[in-house]
Amino acid sequence: MEIISRVSKGSKMDQVYIPKHRSGFSIGSYVVLKPLEKESAVEKPYFYNIGCIEPVKLHIITEIIKIIDKNYQNYENIIFAGSFLERGFNFNDVDLLLVSNTKQDVKYIKNIIEKNIGIKAHIILIDIKSLLEGLATDPLYQMMLSKCISKKRFIFNVKRKVLYKILDLQLLKSKILINNFDILNGVEKYYLTRNIIALYLYILNKKLSKEIVDKEIKKIFEISVKLIKQNMLNKKSFLNKYKKIYKKTFDKIMDSIQSDSK
Amino acid sequence: MTQNRNKLIELFIGNLANSVIHKILETAIDNTEISNKYEKELKNSFEIAKKYRDKINPLYVPFPDKDVEYIRIKLTNKVNSELLKRISRGYENIDLKLVKEFIDQYLKILVVI
Repeated sequence: MEIISRVSKGSKMDQVYIPKHRSGFSIGSYVVLKPLEKESAVEKPYFYNIGCIEPVKLHIITEIIKIIDKNYQNYENIIFAGSFLERGFNFNDVDLLLVSNTKQDVKYIKNIIEKNIGIKAHIILIDIKSLLEGLATDPLYQMMLSKCISKKRFIFNVKRKVLYKILDLQLLKSKILINNFDILNGVEKYYLTRNIIALYLYILNKKLSKEIVDKEIKKIFEISVKLIKQNMLNKKSFLNKYKKIYKKTFDKIMDSIQSDSK
Repeated sequence: MTQNRNKLIELFIGNLANSVIHKILETAIDNTEISNKYEKELKNSFEIAKKYRDKINPLYVPFPDKDVEYIRIKLTNKVNSELLKRISRGYENIDLKLVKEFIDQYLKILVVI
């Protein structure tokens, strides 16, 4: 026998009232209370180059997927990336790509995630065409998606396109460090350095991932990423190497103009 | 104090020049759909230039003519030299006529002129 009833508020304890005339549910018997709304089964996400992840993070991912499912209609996929997937809890927010061909406001979703889970979400709303275009032309996209978790399976076997104008614009961003070494903090310096190295490896047609780029940073600058982030740098020696790799990358990008115009 | 001001002006010029170059290179890209949406960590040159501007007196009124002239010349030279470097390597679609327009636009926004 099943009875559907509402939980009502009591003064000391809340209760569930059931009709006096009933068959079964005799006084003193134990019953199970369960919410009527069935929890929708969440599909298991797909992992790409994730060695291990803390269970609590998986729980957060599941909760975010549920929130988006409820509040965003017709999306193609949700892809989690960035520092949230790194080991430990040294992240500021959860980076996620919401792949959708329709545009809806995501501010509302961000707010719900923050309110319900207590974590900031950096949601990038992107359509499939732009995502594929980004993956083919932008080293940062390749690096970001080299390690990710997605709701649905996705295959990004896109052919790299070297668009010198895009790469030049990306590289220009890293010039900031040369003029502003003293005012930038360690994390900013790391991101600007990572940007150059990612571009450098990209133009050399090398494989990209955060680990590969970090390893290359260590090799070129002879200093660990950790120390860069902590801003423990020898200005003269670091800037010398930085300028050299900046010029080298710039030259490589400019060299690609010839092959691009052919 | 003057020495400090001069140093700040140089830093201001360097960052603003970068920002103008960026703007001009953006206009040289024919494919407007390609843009990097994943750059939250990277500071932008204009923001930094603005920070320097906020440290240089006079704060809320335009600079004296002598300073404006110096900044304008130095900015134009820096931007042109960077752009010409690219043009000489075969970079297409760079419109040098935009340099003056963007410099004036930015200097106005930052209350330098």
